[in-house]
Amino acid sequence: MMVARALSADFLKMRRKGIWLLVILGSVGLLAMQGLNFGLRYDYLLQRYQDDPWAGLIGEIFSFVPISLFLGTTLIASQIANVEHGSNSWKQLLALPISRGSVFTAKYLLGIIALAVSCLILSCGTVVLGLALKFSPDHIPYLTILKLSFVPFLASLPLFALELWLSLTFKNQALPITLGITAAIASLFAGNYPEWFPLAWPLLSFYGKASPALPVGGGIILAFIIYLAGMGQFRGKDVD
Amino acid sequence: MLSYFRVLSAERLKMSRSLIVLLILVSPLVSVLVGLLSDVDSRQQPWLVLLGALSMLHALLFMPIMSGIFAAFICRYEHQGGGWKQLLVLPVTRSGVFLAKYTVIIALLLIMQVLFLGALLLVGAVKGLPGPIPWTEIGRSLLGGWVACLPLAALQLAASLMWSSFAAPLALNVMFTIPNMLVVNSATYGPYYPWAQPFLATLPAGTMEGGGFGALNLPFESLMITVVGSFVVFFLIGWVYFRMKEV
Repeated sequence: MMVARALSADFLKMRRKGIWLLVILGSVGLLAMQGLNFGLRYDYLLQRYQDDPWAGLIGEIFSFVPISLFLGTTLIASQIANVEHGSNSWKQLLALPISRGSVFTAKYLLGIIALAVSCLILSCGTVVLGLALKFSPDHIPYLTILKLSFVPFLASLPLFALELWLSLTFKNQALPITLGITAAIASLFAGNYPEWFPLAWPLLSFYGKASPALPVGGGIILAFIIYLAGMGQFRGKDVD
Repeated sequence: MLSYFRVLSAERLKMSRSLIVLLILVSPLVSVLVGLLSDVDSRQQPWLVLLGALSMLHALLFMPIMSGIFAAFICRYEHQGGGWKQLLVLPVTRSGVFLAKYTVIIALLLIMQVLFLGALLLVGAVKGLPGPIPWTEIGRSLLGGWVACLPLAALQLAASLMWSSFAAPLALNVMFTIPNMLVVNSATYGPYYPWAQPFLATLPAGTMEGGGFGALNLPFESLMITVVGSFVVFFLIGWVYFRMKEV
């Protein structure tokens, strides 16, 4: 129950810090970009995807989902850590009668909730965008649209776990952010990577020929391992 | 003027032994990796083909994003622990401080371009590309890419002055840089999108219609309207904001 209390405190602390704005702008921005893309090239794209316009829209949106997830993950992790770094409040927070483990876990839960909300907005927004583009409302592929954001999200969790750990550890956010951005850019070439390489997982989870079991399962397991390692380090850490 | 040079030398001191060296190296190092792994079939102008391949990574994404990271980095010392108060009580002008910070960012970007040139030459040498190296074209591309980054650096400096967190200005930066991947394909809208200009300016001349004005690869209109126009707007926003900012 300590985790729940730490989490509710974290929800209070993250007000007006721009995290929710980032969550909303990230997914809405992606949709707005595709809205412009389809709006400006409506005839061309509709002809190209005439067999299945929904699949076309989903494909166009998905081409930006892995990099957006990686970048969003990096920035949200840094913002969550910055709530404490920015006001030098680690000592005060850890002096409270709650375990370090729950402080650490609460930050992870907060980030996962924020990212999940972002994914939910993306899925709902995709339906709205498709209907606004006058695609047939009878054949909305709800399941694929849910998969569009949530499956890559699960596959990208290892980077989130790593980024949040680094962001909480280093006061200077330049290092974790640069690493995250480099990873995000490297994920553009995910098609060339072997299957076991975590940066390729968000792409493979949606497009892979095989089942998404490896990228999704691997993502959750690897993220959990990184979380445990981070927790071990955070418990023994000297607080300045 | 004197105040400007004093702040500039102080900035240099504040930067020494910081992580910034690592940050400058990221894009050139990734470029070397990608360059070595990529296939450059040396038909005509292999050097320019290589430059085009590497700029997909360096100029399309890294340069706009790095100008944001440098800006956030350069404002970090002051955002921590009341540094702005300490800096501005010194006998320096606010304009001097603003100009000095801006100078540091664009100098870092210039160093990154030089290192990228080194990466290009290294990859070319390892792959044994036949000479002669087209110095003029390469120089134009790299200089043009740097000039096209100047407005972005000004905007990011303004954003980094406004927000104390490291991630917030970068969110702005990243959100406008990701659409680059779509925008550069559009001949209609590409020339008017400031974040796409570093890439368009770096692509070797002749690949873009109407390219090759003056020393740069951009057509005259997009150079004047987009690069100069957005530079003036972004620079003035940051400068006026900083002069009136409550510290």
